[in-house]
Amino acid sequence: MWWYVGKRLLQTIPVFLGATLILFILLKLRPGDPILNLAGNKPVSDEVRDALAAQYHLDDPLFVQWFQFVKSAITLDFGETFSGQPVFDLIKQTFPVTVTLAIMALAIDAILGIGLGTIAGLRRNGWFDSSVLVVSLLLLSIPIFVVGFVMQLVFGVKLGWTSPTVGSDWTVSSLILPAIVLAIANFAYTIRLTRTSVAENLSADHVRTARAKGLSNRLVVRDHVLRNSLVPVVTYIGINLGSLMAGAIITETIFNIPGIGNAAYTAIQKGETSTVVAIVTFMVMVYVLMSLLVDLLYAVLDPRIRYV
Amino acid sequence: MSDIRPGQERFVAPIDETPLRAIDAVNVDAVPENQWKEAWKRLRTSPLFWLATAILLVIALMIFFPTLFTNADPKKLDLADSFEPGRKGHPFGFTEQGGDVWARTVYGARASVAVGVFTTILVAIVGIITGAIAGFYGGIVDTLLSRFSDIFFSIPLLLACIVVISVLNNTFPDRGFWGSVLVVVAALATFAWPQITRQMRGAVLEIKNLEFVDAATAIGASKMRNLRRHIVPNALAPVIVASTISLGVFIVAESSLSFLGLGFPTSIVSWGNDISAAQTQVRSGNNLQVMFIPAAALAFTVLGFILLGEAVREALDPKARKK
Repeated sequence: MWWYVGKRLLQTIPVFLGATLILFILLKLRPGDPILNLAGNKPVSDEVRDALAAQYHLDDPLFVQWFQFVKSAITLDFGETFSGQPVFDLIKQTFPVTVTLAIMALAIDAILGIGLGTIAGLRRNGWFDSSVLVVSLLLLSIPIFVVGFVMQLVFGVKLGWTSPTVGSDWTVSSLILPAIVLAIANFAYTIRLTRTSVAENLSADHVRTARAKGLSNRLVVRDHVLRNSLVPVVTYIGINLGSLMAGAIITETIFNIPGIGNAAYTAIQKGETSTVVAIVTFMVMVYVLMSLLVDLLYAVLDPRIRYV
Repeated sequence: MSDIRPGQERFVAPIDETPLRAIDAVNVDAVPENQWKEAWKRLRTSPLFWLATAILLVIALMIFFPTLFTNADPKKLDLADSFEPGRKGHPFGFTEQGGDVWARTVYGARASVAVGVFTTILVAIVGIITGAIAGFYGGIVDTLLSRFSDIFFSIPLLLACIVVISVLNNTFPDRGFWGSVLVVVAALATFAWPQITRQMRGAVLEIKNLEFVDAATAIGASKMRNLRRHIVPNALAPVIVASTISLGVFIVAESSLSFLGLGFPTSIVSWGNDISAAQTQVRSGNNLQVMFIPAAALAFTVLGFILLGEAVREALDPKARKK
């Protein structure tokens, strides 16, 4: 087990370095003179230019600059937005909402996806299975922001069950509708994955043995089919926590939620590329960390993984 | 014994009941039907496949012969027509800027489908080659390629595209239709190929140790020939399915980027842009058709590709078919 943990940790390092390298190159490709940008696009004297270049390591070789970029990412020092606010402060302010939203979406995804997927898998090719398949195909083909707007219109504006936008004083209950919208993106996959997994396990040898020794159907399904079917599903859902945060950028924009995605969107609209890159770097770090945790969890759940 | 295929007769003919003449008449050189012909046979009988084909045919007509669907000019904007309801020749009315909703939807198919098709082709080529090399050669080549693809895989697609396009937007502000398509395709393809690489690698790993590959080696096939003639064609099935489905995913991704203001410039008629421009209307609950018509066209197209992928999956993998 520890050997596996060590190997997996070592694999994360080049991935993290590579991802920061890509983001760093993209940041460097940005047109314009970075020193002029720093000075607010005013003409600068040579002394100021040299001082700024030294302060931001702009006169170092690119390799050293990349090293500085990685170092600042690890120490969570992401520079400042154009209005002078440290980007990490912005992240600290906005991240809790996004995490809450992502966890709620994850819970909805897990409960509905596993529930419906299990029923569909147990009654394969029945009417329930077929209609769940059709609905999941439809959900896959409609862009998430269209779903978002429709839900906002129907439940927020027409029916008035919840407020259509969230705003800065968010509460957990006001996030329910956005969380459902966010969950829908992954929901269709979760259902399909659970369904296939359950249907496969139903015909497995150990399930036949369980039936042969006279267990009730409920016990067979709960202890023998579900428990074994859920390993891939749980992994999939776990990995999603990272991608849900990425998906939050659209949901947060639609419902005006003051989260990290909304901050990124505002930065895109203002053309603040450096802020966009900083926020994305942070999200990538969260994503890589989450995949690492999920992989380790997977190894705990499924002993076969550890010994490969 | 009705479904004996050419080339199989000699294995199944019961010797003691078959006259010698009949055995001699068997064409020994006949090639057994290959996987693709078999798949095509199953595909032809699948209603799902024909439904998908019908949908995609309509979309193809929209792309190549838009005048079959509308006579209006998609780029003509007249503020006097702003949010006018439908009238003769303009079945779904007008957008806020006074553009014909239906004409814009018909002409918008081009940009959206172009992004999907070109991204998929690029991703499939890169993914198949890197995946085949990683799976076939193994060892250090595999490790390097896999770690390299992990790097691109570690950045969520939408986030990566946001960064790439916001950088490129500043670098090439004015780039015309194909330039804009190229930017979106490049951004999507750069971060989407590892998916196909992983799948191809897995398939090649599984197939390269099968007996028929050993048999080919035994009769003198070189490594390269084995890879080209025997391993890659047999490993392609899951990749084709995944590519077809991801085509739809790319179209959706483009519209999401347009929604964020990072897809096509607003001067280009595309579904993403039209849906995005209509968003302010939806909150008020008025003029819903301005969003729903392009959104429906988009969903319809994506559904077409997903259904096609499902149909091909069932045809290529008889085990997965309903029992």
